[in-house]
Amino acid sequence: MKKGRIVVRIEISTLLDGKGKLSHRKMDRLAMVLTNLQNSGKDLLLVSSGAIVLGTDKLNMKVDMTDLTGMMAAAAIGQAELITLYQKYFDQYNQKVAQVLLTTDIMDRPSRIANTQNTFDKLLEMGLIPVINENDAVSTSDIELDDNYPLAMNVATVAKADMILIKSDVNSNYIIQPRNNMGAILVHSEQELFNKLDEVCLYLKDEPKQEFVFPQSIGDLIFEN
Amino acid sequence: MERKDFKNIKRVVVKVGTSTLSYRNGRLNFQRMEKLAYTLSALRSKGYQVVLVSSGAIGVGAGRLGLVEKPSETSVKQALAALGQAQLMKIYQKMFEEYNQVVAQVLLTKDVMIIPQRHANAQNTLFRLLEMGIIPIINENDTISTDEIVFGDNDTLSAMVATLVEADMLILLSDIDGLYSADPKTDSSASIIRSVSGITPELEKLATGAGSSFGTGGMVTKISAAKITLAAGIDTIITNGDEPSVVFDVLDGKEVGTHFIAEKVAVKG
Repeated sequence: MKKGRIVVRIEISTLLDGKGKLSHRKMDRLAMVLTNLQNSGKDLLLVSSGAIVLGTDKLNMKVDMTDLTGMMAAAAIGQAELITLYQKYFDQYNQKVAQVLLTTDIMDRPSRIANTQNTFDKLLEMGLIPVINENDAVSTSDIELDDNYPLAMNVATVAKADMILIKSDVNSNYIIQPRNNMGAILVHSEQELFNKLDEVCLYLKDEPKQEFVFPQSIGDLIFEN
Repeated sequence: MERKDFKNIKRVVVKVGTSTLSYRNGRLNFQRMEKLAYTLSALRSKGYQVVLVSSGAIGVGAGRLGLVEKPSETSVKQALAALGQAQLMKIYQKMFEEYNQVVAQVLLTKDVMIIPQRHANAQNTLFRLLEMGIIPIINENDTISTDEIVFGDNDTLSAMVATLVEADMLILLSDIDGLYSADPKTDSSASIIRSVSGITPELEKLATGAGSSFGTGGMVTKISAAKITLAAGIDTIITNGDEPSVVFDVLDGKEVGTHFIAEKVAVKG
């Protein structure tokens, strides 16, 4: 069987209900599908935003990106909430998660890349799912704050992932260079995300489903939108 | 005996080590953690601004995986920290919630003290959290710390945090009562030193000497922490955290633990 390593990047908006509150049904489903993937023998890394949304919600604040400090403070509160929630949902499926907070400068030095890589390898070896987010509270630039798409790419690169699966509501205008023939899947709806995850499960088994179209590289993504 | 007037103290950093948070077998002491949550929440109600520097992530991670022995391999420790920090925050949130106190998690690497932009960001975030009445719970970001960005120990981390947030006082809760004139385990004449006006070479020698093994964190790191805070004009107390409400006594000016007396610094920050 092919041993696959997959990075799933999820935006919190995917997990909200119509009223902008976290949907328990969606969280539960996500935890189940990802645990299932892990159980099938895959290595899984989850890159999740949501700290700011949860933090502002807890404090009854509005998300206001012009108030950078306020959003960083909200992120410090919300990240604790976020990881607690993931633990709670994954616990139901007897899956442990670990929190890894990164700043973009992990890519700056080989020693940091190696160190982060070792940590990922060790967590995955121990059967844990790393839940990764930007360390917003100390981030040096505002671009780090509101979008962890570059973060997900860095994680996929550092972890030497075979595939990155991205759920996004916005059309991405990042210029992404194809790396290491990494597979990429972009989905636009929650249903599509779960469907694709199911397909990924099948694809990564010995006999991939015929109808599953697997993009060759991240490069395909840029031109998709 | 009363200490100098602490009435003007407003911003306090409290540091707890693994020895305070857990039993000797490494399992968490929930009762003590609950008392800590109560004490710090009560300080907030009294009008203090409170920052908690907490160790314990690796131990909690090890406990969660049912490991009996503490690992020595770095990557295992970092992995356990990632697992345990999440769990530790979950527990803190639950305990502080009892007192309607919101907490935040801030994980730092040493580059916060080196890179000006990062220093400013971390400081702004922490100031805002304190203004909002939130208790930031700080730990080293063990998972990604490499040699060049490691604080090393949480005594040093807490001292740097105290300077970062421009605290009025740092309280180091430990499993020892304070700084002793000799190792109380081996020397019956050993007595506790109630106040220290400056870190002298003799004092450092005392910490590194025969007495250095008492207290799991060791006295050496506590003395270096005090060196950092005293240079910044921050009063520092080392005391026994077995009963976390000791923090009330400290702030009331009661003579508990060892007080490292800060000289008045003319201009702060």
